[in-house]
Amino acid sequence: MKHLALCAAGLLALPVFAEGENVTITPPASVSRADGLAAWARIYQVTSHPRCSNCHVGPDNIPMWSGPSYGRPRPHGMNINGGESRIGAEFLACSTCHATTGTRANDAPHMAPQVTADWQLPPVEAHWFGKSSEDICHQLRDRDLNGDRSYREIAEHLDHDVILHWAWSPGGGREPAPYSLQEHVNDVLAWGVAGMPCSDD
Amino acid sequence: MKLTVDGVAHEVDVEDDMPLLWVLRDELKLTGVKYGCGIAQCGACTVHLDGAAVRSCQIAAGDAEGAEVLTITGLGQPNALHAVQAAWVEHQVAQCGYCQSGQIMQAAALLENDSEPTDEVIDIVMSGNLCRCGTYPRIRAAIHTAAAKMKEA
Repeated sequence: MKHLALCAAGLLALPVFAEGENVTITPPASVSRADGLAAWARIYQVTSHPRCSNCHVGPDNIPMWSGPSYGRPRPHGMNINGGESRIGAEFLACSTCHATTGTRANDAPHMAPQVTADWQLPPVEAHWFGKSSEDICHQLRDRDLNGDRSYREIAEHLDHDVILHWAWSPGGGREPAPYSLQEHVNDVLAWGVAGMPCSDD
Repeated sequence: MKLTVDGVAHEVDVEDDMPLLWVLRDELKLTGVKYGCGIAQCGACTVHLDGAAVRSCQIAAGDAEGAEVLTITGLGQPNALHAVQAAWVEHQVAQCGYCQSGQIMQAAALLENDSEPTDEVIDIVMSGNLCRCGTYPRIRAAIHTAAAKMKEA
């Protein structure tokens, strides 16, 4: 019994937040509003980057092709529409071309990207494409629009939802999202500890 | 690895990352499945994997282990065509014909999900299957005909 009690005490002494699966999730003790806004500015660079925003599209459910290798932003070729299911179930499933696999590399230019998760559009509440930093900031801190997540849970989502990791290793000559997954998670945690500030508050 | 293709069980000795299209064409000699682009941009290699249309150039053989694969060769038989194949003949859809294997497999999958697709739905679903000859109006007409025949059956 004494041993169990010591174990329990040891557990309590551990940091509240443990290692994530793919990144370290360690919120800083305190972050000023200014530093929180600086973290947000970096987060916005990620959320507005084509590797992320091209799929964070609105209720027309049409993914985008944009970024340096695409010339001008344009709807996904082939008349693709993800439907309200956001996985193309009503029309052509994303998985028709975007295979769910970890076997093959995303190394061929223009090849349909594939990851070890089912390819899909994010929920329509996370419509970011073409939106301002302030708009996305307000969306991401609103639990009605962010999947009912705290900042910590947003970081965990980034950690374990492997489809998101593709943004930093897209292959095929595509420009990756800025920073790294770990740096992005750190920014989310810093922004959260600062109280999730938005510049127009 | 074990694969069931067109109802026949096969055991093939290939690398896990070999595209299913290669397995079908080069190992099993099912050349009805066509190679178009190899990067999921054209749809020529479309087959059904456990009932769902997929571009076989994008499926790693290792991920298809144990799956049921249906190709154009197994969709129907010369004396018992699938409704989509029969409609293709009726409308004389093919011009050069290279993309038609994939077109037919995609159309058959579409009709499994939607027994009465509108022109809009047909256009959305079939737009990933390219036809350099531009047979799209006949493809659309044939799908409507096949849908009607399948409803009667």
